[in-house]
Amino acid sequence: MSVPVLEIRGVSKSFPGVKALDDVSFAIARGEVVGLIGENGAGKSTLLKILNGVYQPDSGEILVDGRSVSVASPRQAFDSGIAMVFQEQSILPTLTVAENIFLGREEEFIRFGLISRSRMHAAAAEELRKVHLDIDPGMRCADLAFAARQMVEIAKALSLNSRIKGHVTILLDEPTSVLEQKEVDLLFRIIRDLRDRASFVFISHRLEEVLDISDRVYVMRDGKVVKELSARSASVKDLHQLMVGRQLHHEYYREARQVPPSPAVVLAAEGLSRHGAFHDVSFDLHEGEVLGIAGVVGSGREDLARCLAGHRRPDSGTLHIAGAAVRFAAPHEAAGAGVGLVPAERKVEGLVAPFSVAENMTLAALPRFVSHGAIRFAAELGVARDWIERLKIKTPSPDTMVGSLSGGNQQKVVLAKWRIAGVRVLILDHPTRGIDVGAKEDVYDLIRDMTAEGLAVILLGDTLEEVIGLSSRILVMRDGAITARLDAPPGGKPRQVDILRHMV
Amino acid sequence: MAAIAVERGQMLGHWRRWAPVAVLLGLCLVVGLINPSFFSFGNAVRMLNTAAIPLVVCMGATFVILMGSIDLSVEGTIALCAVAASMLVTNDLTGVTIGLWSVPAAILLGGALGLLNGLVHVKLRIPSFMATLGIGFAGIGIATAILGGVMVRIADTDFRNWLSLGRLFGIPAAVWIAGIAVLAAWVIQERTRIGRWIYAIGTDEQTARNSGIPVERTRILIFGVAGLFYGLAGALSAAQIGRGHALIAQDRLFTAITAVVVGGTALSGGVGSVLNSVIGVFIVIVLANGMVLMGIEPYVQKGVQGILIIAAVALALDRSRLDVVK
Amino acid sequence: MAKNVSELPLTSKLSRRSVLKGAAGAAAVGSLGGAFPMPALAEETTWTLANSLRSVANPYHATFAKGGEDFAKSIGARYEVLVTEGNSEKGIADIKALLQRTGGKLILNVDPNDSPDARVIVEEVQKAGGFVVTQWNKPDDLHPWDHNPNYVAHMSFDGVPTAEAIANELFKAFGGEGGIVALGGILSNVPAIERKLGLDNAIAKTNGKVTLLDFQPADWNEQKAFEITQAWITRFGDQIKGVFAANDGMGMGALEALRQNGLAGKVPVVGIDGIDAALAAIEAGEFAGTVAWDPLWTGGMGLAIPYAHVTGKIDITKEPKEHREFYGTGIIVTKDTVADYKANPPKVDFNDLWGKATGQIQYRS
Repeated sequence: MSVPVLEIRGVSKSFPGVKALDDVSFAIARGEVVGLIGENGAGKSTLLKILNGVYQPDSGEILVDGRSVSVASPRQAFDSGIAMVFQEQSILPTLTVAENIFLGREEEFIRFGLISRSRMHAAAAEELRKVHLDIDPGMRCADLAFAARQMVEIAKALSLNSRIKGHVTILLDEPTSVLEQKEVDLLFRIIRDLRDRASFVFISHRLEEVLDISDRVYVMRDGKVVKELSARSASVKDLHQLMVGRQLHHEYYREARQVPPSPAVVLAAEGLSRHGAFHDVSFDLHEGEVLGIAGVVGSGREDLARCLAGHRRPDSGTLHIAGAAVRFAAPHEAAGAGVGLVPAERKVEGLVAPFSVAENMTLAALPRFVSHGAIRFAAELGVARDWIERLKIKTPSPDTMVGSLSGGNQQKVVLAKWRIAGVRVLILDHPTRGIDVGAKEDVYDLIRDMTAEGLAVILLGDTLEEVIGLSSRILVMRDGAITARLDAPPGGKPRQVDILRHMV
Repeated sequence: MAAIAVERGQMLGHWRRWAPVAVLLGLCLVVGLINPSFFSFGNAVRMLNTAAIPLVVCMGATFVILMGSIDLSVEGTIALCAVAASMLVTNDLTGVTIGLWSVPAAILLGGALGLLNGLVHVKLRIPSFMATLGIGFAGIGIATAILGGVMVRIADTDFRNWLSLGRLFGIPAAVWIAGIAVLAAWVIQERTRIGRWIYAIGTDEQTARNSGIPVERTRILIFGVAGLFYGLAGALSAAQIGRGHALIAQDRLFTAITAVVVGGTALSGGVGSVLNSVIGVFIVIVLANGMVLMGIEPYVQKGVQGILIIAAVALALDRSRLDVVK
Repeated sequence: MAKNVSELPLTSKLSRRSVLKGAAGAAAVGSLGGAFPMPALAEETTWTLANSLRSVANPYHATFAKGGEDFAKSIGARYEVLVTEGNSEKGIADIKALLQRTGGKLILNVDPNDSPDARVIVEEVQKAGGFVVTQWNKPDDLHPWDHNPNYVAHMSFDGVPTAEAIANELFKAFGGEGGIVALGGILSNVPAIERKLGLDNAIAKTNGKVTLLDFQPADWNEQKAFEITQAWITRFGDQIKGVFAANDGMGMGALEALRQNGLAGKVPVVGIDGIDAALAAIEAGEFAGTVAWDPLWTGGMGLAIPYAHVTGKIDITKEPKEHREFYGTGIIVTKDTVADYKANPPKVDFNDLWGKATGQIQYRS
């Protein structure tokens, strides 16, 4: 390989209590797409943030075109030809598309102290064309669908390409996690088109994608690069194994532990409708069952899940829990009836970040830990310790702030919270979004544990594969209505195409 | 190629942006039906005149609130600038007379106090409400100490005419000046980098930082810009009542924040606009004017005011997407 | 504002006190002072005098503070000003701290922030052995003679006849026939209620010649008065023959609203308090009159009466009730009298303790 466009040598970075990067070296050649994989907490995001100037390394150096450079800020990174698409979306909904694309770099459009909007819009339209996004650059991003915002974000990073002379490097931190397949295809086509002018670093939890788009793959574990390999010669299974450092379970989705559902109906929905979201939805949920709901974004399944958990109110229809008619006006009423929701946005809705692990766990069942108006901290801690043990939650102590845990462990805390509250129905909305393979498997184990104890689970899976693998039965939704009901017994799982047919 | 779904169903969202205007029009209609003299030219001029100073104040306050901060120094800054302006024109206390130059002097003094707000807030990492509350108290304190409880009477007719009493096309000078201030604020908001950065910082400070925006510097600067507007409001206040004293800005803060919020600018930052605040100011002014015109019992007025303000905010804020309201 | 101590001829005694303080601490000084009275020679000047008031940012209280200072200077005593800034807790805490610091040798003239504060203040002062005079605000059932001898007196001004008199000046200014508008203070405030009552009495006595077009509370706020008056001009136009304001600040706001509409000097305004701006407006023919309270007198006399008691000139417990709870005199200032008033501001004679008192306080409700 000739002189790499971007290289780091021996970079280390520590945060209080964690060595995030340990003597990492890494190089990207001209026009190359480099995949970067590893479990959450392996150091991928830290590495990218160092390249982008958000963090400063404790030691080691960064080289651009073979010259050592200092990257003290995102702005400096940009001027050195490095741009980043952040994992947490960094598109500001209150600004227009054009303003987002050129945020912090408005000076090229300024005349006499004022921004020339027409020139900025023209330049933005140019960038949007590259990602085949046909929208008005003056539109506010709040009005864009989630995936379109992601494309704007990518356009923002790619705009570097036309701003900077010479070769550029674009860092993509999980750009595909919110994209549907055809959007992913489009992104990949764009990446391939741009390879003569740009190099890419690509992070994704979807290993198939990484192998599909990358030339080489770096595998990270515990802050170190454990392997560098050619994408052509690697398989998903190899990558899994390298990431977790152990042999993958033979059965990823624990199908062998799938129990046949009992005939007892724990939740029954009949003719549920909510204007603009879904209509006439009826189904039964049995004890010990995993009921998967498949559907694209906008199919109404998210709204349905929220109605079942009392976050939204249905306009019509009835809901029975264990035979009794219920009507939830608020989430706490649903929780009282034994229905819990594990939301997709766990940082926003599932956890109170500045509370400790123990406090979060007992949040939904707090009255049980109160006597004479005071919280019994010893009892709370005892229960928390018990569940930390049972769910193998990696936390220094029950008193640790939950916000400082990794995504997978946070998700386990949310699950523990509902188990402690004694729910009979648990609705899991994308329970494995953004968590790594090892933690995913733990979550799958937990789901099987729960159903074995008779809990019923409604699952809105992260991928179709996940829904098929975990569910006993699958409801398919399209445009707010149920379009198919499929059985998925172990060994007799439906194929993806069977379900896709009813989804779109 | 129509690659992906780009827009989300937003009819209600678009409607909401116009809610404050609808509230204002509805209010005008109700008041005008009960007392038709509401629509007279004379009353329009009087309301504009009453709105002039709140408008100028709100231009500054809006920027700070858009940024997700709050500025409680409004009253102190205005008071000190008003006292300074009245001591720099012909008056009964000092011999200094710089005439209309007192206006830029007051504006710059306001800007300096604003920068001080920003510096204390950003450099000492003190929450903006504490920093500005402190500076605001200091402002009133200094004004009190300078005057020792007396008032400065302004004898400079030029100053009063150019800033308040004089009329052009039948509209008082203060209204023209407020109009210019609104225009300036709108240009700052829409057409300058600082204006865009206010929104970026107010929406998500981390993202703003990641995009290379000098967040600290921008924050300090915005407090300074807000101070410029308060300084102008100080000069206008002194000209309006022909005196300067430490309590001249009493209740301005509450009116300003109410107007900004009623106009549809969120206290959480990022959402709103100076034009929203213009509407908000007029809602508050029309409401106060209308209460008197309609002859509503004084005992009932405060209740009606409170209910209408809550209703206006409820209409303007899209709460459906807020699962958590703080 | 607290006077710099070195200006006062107390340096030697103060330094002795500070030595004591250094040795035993402030609390110990208090108990010592109680147990072993200082020699008679120290008696006259070891008393600290203090006025407690809302804020020196308003002209009334600034002058009130000045009155106290004038008296303190006349006897060469140490003088302090405490400000509540509208905060009852702060007001009471400051008084407690000063009682502690002076070992109870405190003569206090206080305008309590709120009526209930008066009781707490009186009890604290009595406990510490100081003497207190209250102004304007106190609960109706709290009386000086129930707290002998430490609660020396309560002074107030009767808002009813005052407001009635100044309202009559307003009626005179526009010929005694037509409509007026009136600006009131905070609705629940005692002076605001009294002044409204006085205005109503005056209107009733005109037998329908003067009508009240509208009454609005402007909460003592000049800006609010400005806005309300603007709206009145729209609503009533030239029906408005005069504007009654329950204080001068609101009156000034109303006057500027009139000026914006070319009505200053055409529609007369009256106020109450006698601030400089109002006097100037009277001279300019824009105000028909105001009532001057003479805060120099209240500020000074609230200290002079207790001082006369501690120095043995009078025995307050033997004074009649009209010397313990009394009204001061408001001075009506109009166009005819303003020049004279400004040329000869009312003199305060600290030896004439009750010369300006006008009768025992009446309780109306």
